[in-house]
Parts: sequence; structure tokens; C-alpha cells
Amino acid sequence: MAALKTIKSKDKHILELAAIVGGGRSILYQKEDLLAYDCDGFTIHKHLPKAVVFPKNTQEVASLVKYCHENELPFLARGAGTGLSGGAIPLNEEVIISMVRMKRLLSVDMENRRAVVEPGFVNLKLTNSISDKGYYYAPDPSSQYCCTIGGNVAENAGGAHCLKYGVTTNHILGLEVVMPNGDIIDIGKDGVADEPGYDLLGLITGSEGTLGIVTKIVVRILKNPEAKQTVLAYFDKVSDGSQAVSDIISSGIVPAALEMMDKTAIEGVEAAAFPVGHPKDIDAVLLIEVDGISAGIDEQIEEILKVCRNRNVREVKVAQDEAERGRWWANRKTGFGAMGAISPDYLVQDGVIPRSKLPVVLDRINQISDEYGLRIANIFHAGDGNLHPLVLFDARVPGETEKALEAGSLCLKVCADVGGTITGEHGVGIEKREEMRFVFTEEEIAAQTDVREVFNPKNLLNAGKLFPSPGRCVEVKKEMKAAQTS
Amino acid sequence: MSLREMDLNQNPACATNTLSNYLPKDHPDENKWADCVHCGMCLESCPTYEITGQEQHSPRGRVHLIKSVAEGKLELNEFFSDPVFACLDCRACTTACPADVDVGGLIEEARGQVRQAMPLTGWQGTVSKLFLKGIFPKQTRLNKLGSLLKFYQKSGMQTAVRKTGLIKIMPDHLVEMESIMPEVKTPVKEKYKNEKVIKAKGEAKQEVAFLTGCIMDVMFSDINQATINVLTRNGNDVSIPQNQGCCGALHVHAGDRDTGRELAKKNIEAFKDADKVIVNAAGCGCMLKEYPELFPDDPEWHDKAEEFSKKVEDISKHLHDTGYEKPKAELKKRITYHDACHLAHGQGIRQEPRDILLDIPGVDMVHMPNSDRCCGSAGIYNITNPEMAGAVLENKMQSVPEDVEMISMGNPGCMLQMAIGVQKYGRNQKVVHTVQLLDWAYQKEDGKGDQ
Repeated sequence: MAALKTIKSKDKHILELAAIVGGGRSILYQKEDLLAYDCDGFTIHKHLPKAVVFPKNTQEVASLVKYCHENELPFLARGAGTGLSGGAIPLNEEVIISMVRMKRLLSVDMENRRAVVEPGFVNLKLTNSISDKGYYYAPDPSSQYCCTIGGNVAENAGGAHCLKYGVTTNHILGLEVVMPNGDIIDIGKDGVADEPGYDLLGLITGSEGTLGIVTKIVVRILKNPEAKQTVLAYFDKVSDGSQAVSDIISSGIVPAALEMMDKTAIEGVEAAAFPVGHPKDIDAVLLIEVDGISAGIDEQIEEILKVCRNRNVREVKVAQDEAERGRWWANRKTGFGAMGAISPDYLVQDGVIPRSKLPVVLDRINQISDEYGLRIANIFHAGDGNLHPLVLFDARVPGETEKALEAGSLCLKVCADVGGTITGEHGVGIEKREEMRFVFTEEEIAAQTDVREVFNPKNLLNAGKLFPSPGRCVEVKKEMKAAQTS
Repeated sequence: MSLREMDLNQNPACATNTLSNYLPKDHPDENKWADCVHCGMCLESCPTYEITGQEQHSPRGRVHLIKSVAEGKLELNEFFSDPVFACLDCRACTTACPADVDVGGLIEEARGQVRQAMPLTGWQGTVSKLFLKGIFPKQTRLNKLGSLLKFYQKSGMQTAVRKTGLIKIMPDHLVEMESIMPEVKTPVKEKYKNEKVIKAKGEAKQEVAFLTGCIMDVMFSDINQATINVLTRNGNDVSIPQNQGCCGALHVHAGDRDTGRELAKKNIEAFKDADKVIVNAAGCGCMLKEYPELFPDDPEWHDKAEEFSKKVEDISKHLHDTGYEKPKAELKKRITYHDACHLAHGQGIRQEPRDILLDIPGVDMVHMPNSDRCCGSAGIYNITNPEMAGAVLENKMQSVPEDVEMISMGNPGCMLQMAIGVQKYGRNQKVVHTVQLLDWAYQKEDGKGDQ
């Protein structure tokens, strides 16, 4: 094949892998070409892969995996690389199997409200492809403009509207998976919502790419809600804002989304590309959306406005049209990236807490911020208690990265201590491996790695993610210390 | 030291100053990449990422590499120059970026570095030198080339080249270009060289200076004429400073910042008495507005460039802001609008040209999906990277609605590229500039013209 002649490597594995995908532009293997793959949306750890391959179909994925399996080559799957916990970073010089060229929408079945996509298909494109027929795909992570549905399955991605509609796992009806030995299996039956036996769909979804590589996904699609209303509410005190959140939920309303940003987060989004004119001197803004059938929507909005007023809201307004609503959401959904406008680097955490604990937790986070001398912005899926503290730092300042990591870790400790947990939707990846110990005992972690053994016995697929390795805690601390003193 | 030994893992906080592989002159601006947090929101906006799926051909990937050179992880070699020069410089990523990272500016600075470290040699070097240094900056030569093209078209040579099969030995993309070359007429700069001011029809509201552009005035002098007609009809006295020249965008895109600076200085001087500089080519307008970027270390010229750039305005925005007469005659046409990258992403001008078109009675506007997606023209990208440009064009043409008669836009480079697309994919749309349509409507109202 002509394309293969252009491969300049003498490495037998590179040549074999190239042959599987057809060489040429379907493989990257020279160090300089691999640099762009040394991290994903989590930029604190950087490692070069052995190669990046771009398969076009399931068969090629299976052949690549089989080859890696037989030749003991570590490997992992990568989508758009927008993950925030380092799930797609090659810790062990992996062969990265990039799924981005498998990006077709294979079929849409309106009658049964299903769509079949390849893993590299971008989340928002699904909604865009079916919106003219009145349908949409509900899970809407903030990165939905570019993240892939394959990656969403791996991380069990959430999003602003998960409060009412659930996370990715609630929308997956079937999967085609290439197992770590190269076997291709199908899980889930066409048209059957729940199969007898163990819930393998549930197990694979959110397994962070450690149990298999998803090559085809059957998702649930939903009818667009008949009506939608969106409210912005500004509070002078965080405690009033969070009380309002609790009051809304306890009044019986289930908003489609209920988001909060604190003062520092507001400073970031207002300094960035999609400002909407939030006042700079408020402590919290709530973005509340209700949807459903038209009847009753206005009453829900009235109730929400009343709750906000009871909690000393400074100003509250309802979006006047779709354009205004769109601007509010763009402002919120680009919130993480917007931190670039006020800080060279950030580390985003992903704790979950009982809603009622928000004021206490935010106080603790403010203390951590003071102790470490690092600003921390908070973006919060308030309705379901999923908190995103964004630790702002400058990696160019020696020692600041390590300080940020410690501060981030402490934020998660706070969440765990009040009865919450360490990740809501970003996954554990590399970032929160050690923090798994805040919520699981050694035995509980071992029980889970036993499950991994069943699927991924050689542990070649995405090794070193999701769980702490025994004794690792000490090593990390040593590493941190060494980095600080050097 | 090998790349892997550099210990990428432990060292994100690289001491940029000591390790940088950049050359001291025109050092890329570190603050520009410090804004990038690698979130990936730019990925889907990028035409070259859409086609390759490879991160080094994505905006954040390119920024990552630009940063990597400063961190000493990558050298100024072809591994760097390939991704940096494969960028269309369409700026769609700057629209998508939540943190306002100036990817376009970084790319141009990086190209400047590459060209310092790896001057073009061989055929590429000769061609680039001929066009960028020998022709575009020299108006007389450009006019001669225009006359030559005119001769080529009128003398029967064009027919001969096409008939004799001589055309078969030209590279494909040049054949495509040859086939859509507009009929060359007299440049307006030449035509009005003895008129200090072209007077407004009726009472003058203001005087504006007009940048005629280099290629624009040779290949599309009819659009320049239409621009003058529209301006004078709407109360603008128009001057055409004769000492103006090429804006330098092509040079800056190609990494030749020195020539870019020379041309910038020339234009800043040429337009120093003007209150407003009107441009009808989006690429030129964007460049003029970015002149200050060329003088980071030269406070005197930086200030002059700042002052100059504030005077620059695209024709559609100028008409929109200062008011224009709504034409009364009907142009019964189904039209779609393509957002030139350097108008939409580069200058944030999207609605103004559409409003002009909608103000023409009888115009039926048809929505083009992804209208702000690059067409692949990108300055001389379609000559230097024909394969990628072709793939980008193919995607673009799929978005052009089937049943429209015209595709309107505000940039000559796009017009040439879209015309190639129309021909290549067997479509039948006429490619027009927004001001032409307005001018035609006025002419029809006055009982002139055949549109």
C-alpha cells in the first residue's frame, strides 16, 4: 500500500499498527507529532503516547486492540480530549486509539425515539440533527459543542439539565463494545429498555475507558418540551442564594436546570467572550430553567420568583426571548474556559454535596483559598448538589501547581466530610485517584478492581486510572515534595 | 536531549525564558497563550480539525505547540511549521473561544518565527518571493500583470490555451483558478488618478478615503466601482490616496512580517489625512485593523498604527452606521449569504451586510447553514495548500442551498474560491459582492443597468 511507504519508523509495532489503519494520515508516531496528545482537558500531567491511530470502523478498532493485547502494548481510547480528570492521558506510553474519525450518525428512529451514533459523533450535533423534527438529546455537558458521545459514555457525563433528565447512563439503550482482548460484543437489545441479567450497560457507562472501547451507541432521544422559561436571580449573599435553591426544590418544582455561580466565577465569565452584564458586586447568580407542557409553566415561574424574593434577591428577571436565553446559557456553559481570561491555568474540581450544606462548604472553600493564597471560583449545578470549585493558578510560578493540586484535593475532602462525594460528572481519571480513599476503604476499592480484572485482566487498557494503586499515596506525596524542593 | 528525556511530566511549570527555542526577533506573545486553558471548545469550529481529526491541526493543538516551542519541547522545524502553516487563519476559533485567545495572532507570530528559521527555498521560495515581494507590494507590476491577464483574455490566448491542451499541463488548482478568472478591467485607482475627490451625488455628509486593494483593483475593479457608486450616492465624498499599497495581509499570513511592516507604514502614511478608511475586502480590513500587532516593540509606529486602525471600516458597516438610501427598484433574486471569515470572525460583522441585502426589494434571502465556515480561500492558502483548501471547499459547497441564484459575500478571495466551487461541483450560482447588489438595485432604479 502506497500510504504505508511513507511510514518512516523502524519500530515493528508502529508498522503493524499502521498497516491495520491503512498508514499515511491514520497514524502519528513521531515524537513531535505526538506532543498535541500529551494531555486532555486536564493539563497538569503530561505524558507522550507511543502512537496515535485513527481507525475508521469497529473492525479496525478490534484489530488494533487485538494487536495490542497480543503484544502487551498498553492502549487507550480518546475522543475529543475534553475530559477534565485526565482519563485520556497516556500514563504508560499507550497507543492512543482516537475515535474522532468514527463520527457518523448512523440512524434515527423517531417512532421509537432512538438514535444510533458512532463514538466520535459530537454531542450537540445529535440535537442539531434532529431539532427540526422536534427532538433532542438530553445530556448536555458544558463541552457539548465539541465533546463526543463516546467520551460521554466513558465518563457518564452530566450537564446542566441532568437535574430533571438524568445523566448519560439514563439515556443509553445499547452499546457495541470492543473488549480489551479484541472481541466485539453487543450489549442491550433493540427496543428493549431493560434486559434481564446484570446491568452491563450501567457498568460500562462511566467505567472511564477501563473496561472496553465503545464503538457504537444507541441513545434515547426526547421530544422537545412544549414550553421553556429561564430566570436569572442575583443575590447579595451566597446563603440566600442557596436557601432559594432548597426552597425551590422543596416547593415541589423540578427545574430542568438550577445553576449557581459565585463572585469569582462571575468575574471570569464577564471578562471573557460571552459576558451578559452580571453585576460585579453580587455574591451569587442563579440560572433557573423550567420546561414541560405549556400549562402550568407560568405558575412555576411565579412560584420561583416568589421564593427568590423571600430570600432577599436583589434582582430577578425572566428571559424575554430565545436569544436572551441563549446568551445566558453561553455565558454559563463557557464558564470553565472563561477562567483563562482571569488566570493562566485552572484546576476544576467536581465535588457533590447535600444541597443544604452549600453555605458551610463554600465557607470552607474560601478558607482553603485564603490558606493557599489561590483564588477559587465556584460554578455549581446547585439543583443536584454538584459543585465545581475552580482553583486558579499560574503554572509558571514554581510550586503553584502543587499548591493548586493540594487545595483542590482539600476541597474534595470537605465535600466528602459533609456526606458528599468526590466526583459528580468529570470522572476520577488521574486527578482524583487518591481522593477515592476519602469515600472508599481499601477493601471497597479492591472489590472494584476485581471487577476490572474480569474485563481487562492484563490491565493494558487505560491502566493507572480511576483507582489509587496500593501504596501510591506515599509516592505522590514524595513526588510533590521533590517537585517543590527542586 | 531527547524529547522524552526532557521529562514532560514533572515540568508543566517550565521556565519559559531559559528554554525557549524561539528566535529573539518578533518573539510570539506569551500572554496570548497564557489565556488558553486547553478546554477544547475550539475544536469543532476548526475546518482543518474537522477534516483531519488530528489535534495538531486544531486551534488548541496549535497553541499547545506554539507554547511547546517556548518551553523548549519542540524546535522550529517542519513538525512545527506544518501545523502552523496548515491553519487557514480563518479565526473561527477566536469566535468559539470562551477565553478570547487570539489564536490568529499567535499563528501569524509563529509563522514569522518559522520563516526566520526556515526561509523558503526551491520552487516554493521562488514563487513566494515573486508574488509576495515582487508583485503584490508593487502596484505598477500588479497593474502590468492585470494588463497581461487582460491581454490573455482578450487576445484569444485564453481560448488558445484551453483549446490546445496547454491547460492540461497546469496543476489542477491553477486550472480551476484560470477557469473562473473574472474579466479584467481598468483599476479604479488608475481611472480616478487625476481626481482628488470623487464628489458625492447631492449634499456631502462626509469625506472618506477608499482602500482599493491590490488584487481587488486588478481582478475586481467592477466591485471597486460599485463601492464608489454606492458611497457617492449616499453622501460620501470619496478620495483614493494614490500612494496607498497592498495591505500586507498575505505577507503577514505567510510569515513575512518585515514586508508586512513596510506596507503597513506606507498605508498609515498614505491615509494620514483621512478621517475614515473604507475597505470592501474583509481580509484587507482585518489586516488594517490589526496593524498595531506588527509593532509591539516600536512605540512610535505602534501609536500611529493604533490611531490608523480606529479609522478603518468595512463598507457594509459604514453604510449601516452612517445610513444609506433604501433602493426602490426590485431585484427579484433568491440569494444566500456567505460570511467571509475576516468579516464575521475577524471583525464581528455579520448582520450589517445581511441587512443591506434585505433592504433591497424583491430579494429573497435563503439561509445558508454554517454560513461562517471558511471556504478554503484564506488568502493564498488555496495556492499553497490546494488539497486541504479543496476539502474545505467541498464541505462549504455542501452548505450552499441548491435553489439560490446568487451567493453574496464581502471578500474577493472568497469570491474566487466560491466561484471555483460553483464550477467544480456543477452548480449555477453567480458569486457577487454585497455592494454590487446594492449598486445594481440603484442602477435599476435609475433606469440603467441590466440586472
